[in-house]
Amino acid sequence: MLRKNLHLSLFLAYNFAMNKRTNEEWLADLRAGGDQQAGALEDLRAIILRGLPYAIAGRLNPNSPESEALVEEVVQETLMRVLEHLDTFEGRSQFTTWAHKIAVRAALTELRRVRWREVPLPEMDMNDDEDNSYRELPDRQASPEDQVDRKEMMKRVNRIIMEELTDKQRKALMAVAMQGFPLEEAARRLGTNRNALYKMMHDARLRLKKRLEKEGLTPQEVLSVFEQVGK
Amino acid sequence: MKLNQLLQRLFGAKQKETLSMKNKMQVQKSEKIQKVLTMLSNTQEVEMTCDEVFAALDQFAELAARGEDVSRLMPLVKHHLAMCPDCQEEYRVLESIVLNAV
Repeated sequence: MLRKNLHLSLFLAYNFAMNKRTNEEWLADLRAGGDQQAGALEDLRAIILRGLPYAIAGRLNPNSPESEALVEEVVQETLMRVLEHLDTFEGRSQFTTWAHKIAVRAALTELRRVRWREVPLPEMDMNDDEDNSYRELPDRQASPEDQVDRKEMMKRVNRIIMEELTDKQRKALMAVAMQGFPLEEAARRLGTNRNALYKMMHDARLRLKKRLEKEGLTPQEVLSVFEQVGK
Repeated sequence: MKLNQLLQRLFGAKQKETLSMKNKMQVQKSEKIQKVLTMLSNTQEVEMTCDEVFAALDQFAELAARGEDVSRLMPLVKHHLAMCPDCQEEYRVLESIVLNAV
């Protein structure tokens, strides 16, 4: 009953707040200080509480204590960041969407940290040149020629990866592209940040693509050699 | 005789297990290479970074929610979202909030 009332009041606060302020008014109130600012922060808090818990419900049950604790922490952090970065709001969206964006990032960063904290970054396992499994294991669906093609191509791609990329780039590629690690978590373990890791991986992808081109291959052509398997 | 059968069963089973493990590893390896190649084939010379995409994500989400053609209006953001699992995930959550608020 209490929870229901709480939700109802949040809903009313949300509607009221949404209809109450234009972007300019949000900015003016949040910059004002005193009661004016406190009121705006309270409204913004209610708006975030209205949207966020349900949007992350697939990752965390909104009625669990963990969710309440996480959301509370995220809302605090969001309000702080909103005030801190107010000058970067360019008015290209509704102010509340901009604030939601900050809340979503804070929430998912925390959820990823918790979910992946026990998972070590995978070790590189592409450098085993002498792999006999292809010879020992005839693939019933692939012709012997296809198997040779695949084996040769696998070796060639591995060699290119070893020759073109730095150790860090290989680790990042392995973790993110192959193992499904979030960039943010891979970056944390590699002692960098997500933005820098994306740039590093983009550079790595470009290097590999150009090297394939130099060898007269496109990624699509190489891919087709693997995709024939099992067809 | 019984010992012989037992040994055969044991070793036979072990051999099978080793083979299926190797087979599994081989399939996994091939899948990993395919994932990398797919990323390579989608790689563009110029791509936006996560920070640049974050700066534009609220605008992108509202445009998409209004049914605008975001592939035409903000192609680099759209491309980054397809390449970056973190930004993609954040966009999906923001999208659901924006759609609910509309």
